[in-house]
Amino acid sequence: MQTTDHIMELAGHRREDFSVCMGCKVCASVCTVNDIDIDMNPQEFLFKVFMGEEIKADNPLVRYCTSCYRCTSACPWQIRIPEVVRAVKESLGMEARFEKAFKKSLNIWGRVYEPFVVMMSAPDLLKGGYMKYLPKWMEYAGFHFPHKVKRLSTSNTLKGSSSSKEGRS
Amino acid sequence: MEYGYYPGCSLTGSAKKLDQGVRQICNKLGHSLTEIPEWNCCGALEYGNRNELLSISGENLKKAEGLHKEIVVPCPACYKNLKDADSDKSFNILNPLELLNNENLSKIKQINNLKGQVFFPYYGCLLMRPEGSAIRNKNIMEDAISVFGGDIDGEKMKDRCCGGNQLFLNKWVTEKLSNLILTKSKGTIVVFCPFCHMAMKTFAEGRKVIYLTDLLLYVMGEKKSL
Repeated sequence: MQTTDHIMELAGHRREDFSVCMGCKVCASVCTVNDIDIDMNPQEFLFKVFMGEEIKADNPLVRYCTSCYRCTSACPWQIRIPEVVRAVKESLGMEARFEKAFKKSLNIWGRVYEPFVVMMSAPDLLKGGYMKYLPKWMEYAGFHFPHKVKRLSTSNTLKGSSSSKEGRS
Repeated sequence: MEYGYYPGCSLTGSAKKLDQGVRQICNKLGHSLTEIPEWNCCGALEYGNRNELLSISGENLKKAEGLHKEIVVPCPACYKNLKDADSDKSFNILNPLELLNNENLSKIKQINNLKGQVFFPYYGCLLMRPEGSAIRNKNIMEDAISVFGGDIDGEKMKDRCCGGNQLFLNKWVTEKLSNLILTKSKGTIVVFCPFCHMAMKTFAEGRKVIYLTDLLLYVMGEKKSL
C-alpha cells in the first residue's frame, strides 16, 4: 500500500508537515546522493509522495539515501525527508539480507548480535567482494555470547516487528 | 556525577574500544556510569515505521525510569533515537562529547603532547543533525585536539556523510562517499561513531583511524592508544 496517508503515518508526519514545503530545492543542493554522481532532488520525491504518485523501488533516493539528514538540516521547515524515504521503503517491503538479519536479531535477543548478522548476510558479503577487507576488519571481530534481553512485561515492543514480512532487496 | 549508561549493540562488539574508552575517561573525570538494566537495541536506522522505532528506543527509557535522569549514550544513532523517543524531555540524554567542556578538559593531566601531529576530527551525520537531536558544541573535538597541542585539518568535511549505513547494502556508495572525505582531509582521522570508524578504516589507505577516546587516553599517558 502506498498512499500519501499511509506513508505519512509510517513516517510520523502530518499532512501539514509536508505541505509547508515551498519548493526551494535547498535539499537538492545538499543531498548526499548527488555525491555519488546521481542527480537527486528530494523535493521532487516529497512532492510525488504528497501527490500520491507511486514511488518505485529503483528510485535513487529509495536505494541510496544514507539518512545523513543534510536535507533536513538545510530545509527551512526541517522536514525529515530521510524518514519519509524509510517509510516508502517500508511500504514497498524492501529489506536487504542485512536489514532482515538486523531485525531478526532484535526479535531473538532484543539486541543486534553482530556474529549472527554477519552470518545471515554472508551470501551478500561473500559475493560482494568484501573478503578483501577482512584483514582490516579483524580489529572489529571478537567473540562474545549473545545476551537475551528481558522485556518489560507491560510492553509489546519488539514483538510486532516487521521482520516476518516478505521483502525485496 | 552519576549517570545512567546506554552502550548500544555495537559497543558490546565491533566498537568495544569506544565502550572501554568512554568508561575509562569518565572514570578519570570522576563520573560513574551505570548501565540501564536489560537495555535493548535502539532500532538504529532500520525501521520505516517511526512509531515502531520510537517504541523500541523508548523501551530503554522505561527501563531507566526511577533509576536515572541523565543518560550517557556514545553511539550517534542510539543517541539520536533515544533523544527522539524522549519527546517530553523527561531525561537528559547526553553524548560523552557533551561531558567534555573546557572545565573538564582542563582537569585532564596532560602527559603526552600532540604537538606536530595533524588530526582530522570527523563527526559524520547524526551528532550534527538534525538540529533537535544534535550535540550542542559542534567544535568539541577540535577544542580537545587543540588544547593538547594537535593541529586540525579537513574542517569542511567534518560533517559530511561517510555512507556507513550503506556499507552492507551498496558498498560502492560507502567507498565513494568515504573517499571524498578522505581526499579532502589530512592526518589521523578522529571519529566518535562506530559506523564512521568502520567506513574510514575500510577505505583509508595508510592513515590511522581512532576514536577521540583513544586520543584522550594517549594524552593522559597511555602511549599505546594512538
